[in-house]
Amino acid sequence: MGHYVVRRLIQAIPLLLGITVVAFAILKATPGGPLAAYEANPNVTPEDIARLEHALGLDQPIPLQYASWLGHFLTGDWGYSFATSQPVLSMVGGRLPNTLWLMTTVYVVTLLIALPIGILTAVKQYSWFDHLTTGATFAAFSMPTFWLGLLLIITFGLQFRLLPLGGMLAPGAPFTVGDLARHLVLPVATLSLVGVGTYVRFLRASMLETTNQDYMRTARAKGLTEPRVVVRHALKNAAIPFVTVAALDLPELFGGALVTEQIFGWPGMGRLFYDSVTRYDYPVLMGILAISATFVVLANLLADVLYGYLDPRIRYS
Amino acid sequence: MRAVRREHNDAVGAGRRAIALLGAVLLAAGACAPATSGPGPAARGGTLVFAIWQEPTTLAPIYANQTVATVVNETAVEGLLNTDTNGAFYPVLAKSVPTIDNGGVKISADGKKMDVTYDLLSGVKWSDGTPFTSADVKFTWETYLKDPKVVTTEGYSQIDSVDTPSDTQVVLHYKTIYGAYLTRFTGIIPRQLLQNVPDISKSEYNQKPLGTGPFKVTEFVSADHITVERNPNYRKPDRPLLDKIVFRSVPSREVAVAQLKAGEVDGMWNLLEAQIPDLEKDANIKIVTTPSPSVERIELNLAKPADPIADPKVPHPILGDLNVRRALLLATPKQQIIDKLLFGKAKPGTSPVSQGWASPKGLAQEAYDPAKAKQLLDQAGWAPGSDGIRSKGGVKASLTIVTTTGDKVREQVQQILADEWKAIGIDLQIKNQPSAVLLSGSYSAGDPRKKGNIDLWMYASSPAIDPHSIINQRYTTANIPTAANGGAGQNYTRFSNAEVDRLVADAGATVDQARRAKDYADALKILNDNVPIIWMYDRQLLDAFRTNVSGYKGNTWDNITWTAEDWSIRK
Repeated sequence: MGHYVVRRLIQAIPLLLGITVVAFAILKATPGGPLAAYEANPNVTPEDIARLEHALGLDQPIPLQYASWLGHFLTGDWGYSFATSQPVLSMVGGRLPNTLWLMTTVYVVTLLIALPIGILTAVKQYSWFDHLTTGATFAAFSMPTFWLGLLLIITFGLQFRLLPLGGMLAPGAPFTVGDLARHLVLPVATLSLVGVGTYVRFLRASMLETTNQDYMRTARAKGLTEPRVVVRHALKNAAIPFVTVAALDLPELFGGALVTEQIFGWPGMGRLFYDSVTRYDYPVLMGILAISATFVVLANLLADVLYGYLDPRIRYS
Repeated sequence: MRAVRREHNDAVGAGRRAIALLGAVLLAAGACAPATSGPGPAARGGTLVFAIWQEPTTLAPIYANQTVATVVNETAVEGLLNTDTNGAFYPVLAKSVPTIDNGGVKISADGKKMDVTYDLLSGVKWSDGTPFTSADVKFTWETYLKDPKVVTTEGYSQIDSVDTPSDTQVVLHYKTIYGAYLTRFTGIIPRQLLQNVPDISKSEYNQKPLGTGPFKVTEFVSADHITVERNPNYRKPDRPLLDKIVFRSVPSREVAVAQLKAGEVDGMWNLLEAQIPDLEKDANIKIVTTPSPSVERIELNLAKPADPIADPKVPHPILGDLNVRRALLLATPKQQIIDKLLFGKAKPGTSPVSQGWASPKGLAQEAYDPAKAKQLLDQAGWAPGSDGIRSKGGVKASLTIVTTTGDKVREQVQQILADEWKAIGIDLQIKNQPSAVLLSGSYSAGDPRKKGNIDLWMYASSPAIDPHSIINQRYTTANIPTAANGGAGQNYTRFSNAEVDRLVADAGATVDQARRAKDYADALKILNDNVPIIWMYDRQLLDAFRTNVSGYKGNTWDNITWTAEDWSIRK
């Protein structure tokens, strides 16, 4: 097991390197650049542009720019934002807690709702509850977050004035948990509703696959109570595909939700990424991409390790 | 300090369009906001929340390249002079505006150099209590020359040396005659704080600049808010009225409008014309409308479109003909577009300089007259074919127009023009591009205007109070982007006229404002006679407040925050 994890981690290194190369190449290939906004300023002369290019290291050959970025990154120096001149690490560090607040809440709420509904809808297959849930979850996961978010803002923010329209805290007010909670409700509801839809569908499908298995009949024949059969036998076996989905969503805890953060003005990682894209802020983008890729690799590994726990037949070699 | 205005600001950001839908829905839904208190007497104290839909990347005056950065930092940072809404300079940290008449500007005997003397206010303190002196002005100049990250050295590199005979007097020795000298030193930076800082951009000053203004920046929380608080060392004892302004970063104009309606914010920066009718219905909101120097225009490529770059010596097969250009102008219903799409909130355009002392009086473009357009085309030998589209010498009059994708008003204008121009026998194809591409202003980034590989393009641009750099960049022969100069210059239409070149050069080499104004007027008259550009409409600066806010005032040449010290709020 330990060997397996170590080997997987070593295998991930060339993969992550490859990802950063591709990401860097794509960023550089997009038309425009960090100085485009300066070039549009009539006060800025071509000499100014040349000076700024040199100051930001943009006059170097692209492979050299990449090598320089990588060299610094590996030693823990994420560089400075082209746009704000702030250290990338502190920019990411400033946004990460906000995104964690949002996404952890979403993750927990989603699981808390999706698990019981998913189990129940499979256990009571073809009941009115199942039909209702099937319809509702299809609607929920087909819903684009930008549309759902707007709908909630209009209804609860503007129409009924129950909740703030956006932001993480009331402007200028000191931090309180209550204020944060009020601001969390709508974005969490938006993301959770879509998430619940997806998870319930997955859980229902994999639960149903277990119902006709021999071990289910055996368990019932042993005289186990129905809840025990469902939880110990059906759920544990059904959990494998579900865990994959849930584990692969984990990187979102750090990456944030691009569209939802944008709509709700949430000062998280998704918005930082979006703003950095519009500014061609390569150092920030590379930092975020590198860390996101790392989390995706780790989440995959976590999913694989969890399989072993859930199904002892799976062996790691 | 003056706004850094450029067409980039008028372009709708790519991602903002993604949630543009939000705007329409929020606007409609916001109409049901309950009424709150009406206007009241100016009160001292209180916090005002002001929405900004772009986020400043820096607040340091030496690095700022965004209008929104000046919206925020001019509450804290001051310059030697500022510009009022009529375009007149008035002293801020200086005692008076230096001119030739008052002896503040001295031209050398040979007429090639000049010295400018500023007498400074005495007793002014930075918000940390340290004294403001002439050494700070000198340090500002030095920083512009030595810091590699300043936005531009224009107007500073023209200065040879700076003397500080006393704490309250500074003398700038220019290497040349620099006509736009009053437009510099709009943000003075503190020597005592920064003189030993190796890289100012990486210091705290970058986000929380120390200034002499009514407020001081106390908090900068990225993507959330920037707080400015009363400066206890401000020289006017009864100002500012507010204790605090919180600039709230919101993701789009539409969100700002919704929050304004809901009362979550008390004011907002920079609306679009199309948002006015809806806000006007809300009794709790007042819109501040100020004429803006920004002019929406359609530019015509006079050179034959080519990749990678057009050769200005090869004329455009269709637009190279002045008769066609005039016909397009005559078939452009400016007033109808303004009435229908902008709810009458703009004026038909006449020149690139719509405001200020350099705005040519009485200059016009030919008015809408499609019959005359047809007549011109007939006379010029452009004969209609079986499909109604004209052609001449085997060249079909089919043109392509480009504007920024996702801009609703511009897309509607294109539709109107396609109809109108088809009626006179000219086919118009629409092929839009993201603003980041069309308006990048960068040859290497593939700005099609720089490359000259398109026929027509529509966008807005505004000159600064001193229009010299933009007139020179946009309409003189030396600034045509070519293969030889690596795509430098902004004369996108490839317009070339020796008399215009001479007039603009003459205007740039004198400080005589009357002579400069006449030079520009003459040059722009020649420009208009050749119709390389259709001036669509003069845009407005639009900001909005809830009715419990008072004391604000618009400024054509500055941001709404220029008088933030007079703002007050009744909660």
